[in-house]
Amino acid sequence: MTIVSDSTETKLNNGPSYLEDPLQLLPRALTSLYSRWVRLSYPFASLGKGLSVHPYCGWQRSQAHRISLGNHVQIRKDALLQVAASSVQSDEPAIIVDDETCLGPACQLIAKNRVHIERDVLIGQSVLITDHGYSLQDVVGSQDQQISEGGRVRVGQGSWIGYRAAIVCNKGELVLGRNCVVAANSLVTRSFPPYSVIFGNPARVIRQYDPAKKRWVLKTA
Amino acid sequence: MSSDAARNMTVPQKNEASRALFDDPLRLLPQSMTKLFSFWVRATYPFDSIGTHLSMHHSTRLNRRVTPGIRLGNFVTFKKDAWLNLWETQGPKIIIDDNCCIGARSVISAQNRIHIERDVRLEASVLIQDHNHAYEDVQKPIRDQGLTPGGTIRIERGCYIGQGVAIVCPQGELVLGHHCVVMPNSVVLKGAPPYSLLSGNPARIVEQLDPSQSGIQSACAS
Repeated sequence: MTIVSDSTETKLNNGPSYLEDPLQLLPRALTSLYSRWVRLSYPFASLGKGLSVHPYCGWQRSQAHRISLGNHVQIRKDALLQVAASSVQSDEPAIIVDDETCLGPACQLIAKNRVHIERDVLIGQSVLITDHGYSLQDVVGSQDQQISEGGRVRVGQGSWIGYRAAIVCNKGELVLGRNCVVAANSLVTRSFPPYSVIFGNPARVIRQYDPAKKRWVLKTA
Repeated sequence: MSSDAARNMTVPQKNEASRALFDDPLRLLPQSMTKLFSFWVRATYPFDSIGTHLSMHHSTRLNRRVTPGIRLGNFVTFKKDAWLNLWETQGPKIIIDDNCCIGARSVISAQNRIHIERDVRLEASVLIQDHNHAYEDVQKPIRDQGLTPGGTIRIERGCYIGQGVAIVCPQGELVLGHHCVVMPNSVVLKGAPPYSLLSGNPARIVEQLDPSQSGIQSACAS
């Protein structure tokens, strides 16, 4: 098995796809207008070129200074980028999305400390990536006390997160190495090395790329 | 237990939708549509009973003719594309108490009774279903075979249900004790005692909290 990297790019350069169906023109124009509005009026921590955001994206302008977006980031319909209300007030960005990353429809990035998506990551539909929340202290404690600290999440470059996978880190740091593949409906709660194919609930490695032998090897648990 | 007592007091809370008003002027239209739709639903739908401060996104799927089987408390929030489904309307089949939040794309489908107590938070894409489709007759399509008798579900106060969780009770009673946390993408088929952290498919208790000591004990994996 080889890594094919250029397939999406060639497809995109195949001429203007908005002429395909005239009914698509209106939603495309709305997306483009909304992206422009966001670029002009949202005070992001940093923002690259070529942002594309669907108008149904769920975020708040009051939180935009905690969000950092790279070049050519695509954010699809109903995606949610949220900085938790209990987050420590600081000016450091809590959500960092690097260049060429695509956030799929209805995917949710919810950060309290730091959620970092590196470049060229492909995030599927209904994916959840969060760095806090799923701990018993949080539900037991009252609103202002005993809230757990949460952790940090970093998704390495070139990774692919499949449909409805969830990446949850309650404490410490969760790092998915570069070029990881997370299978659909998986639940990832700990770090994984680069070039892993991760599957299951809880997730485990089922396949791994061996850089020395330059091929993928099966891993049986 | 002092924090527990504090939680029992009724604290008026703002709905999440109203918190971000005037954040972005472009958001005013959808927000006012949610407000108008909530007002319309509260005023005209024949609920079994309904509290104050309902917030319901206009894309919520809810038939007016089944609303006599639904009882809602105060400060209940329904996010986008939530779906309340009922098969009959005798008696309250779906009871949602105060301060509950039903996440986007969540489905609550009741045949007997689903009771969600106060302060429960459902994240997006949650399925709660107290029955199943019957499938025993292989000659007929599933939709002609009707439903199984099903059971009842009770989710006690303060529970936190993660994204994509399915809570299905084909028979008997499923009780999720108060202050349980369910990890995302779990499938819950059995109840759990209070202060449990559930995870996996099928869901198992991973951690349990003793609230008197507030120390976490790992459940044995057997």
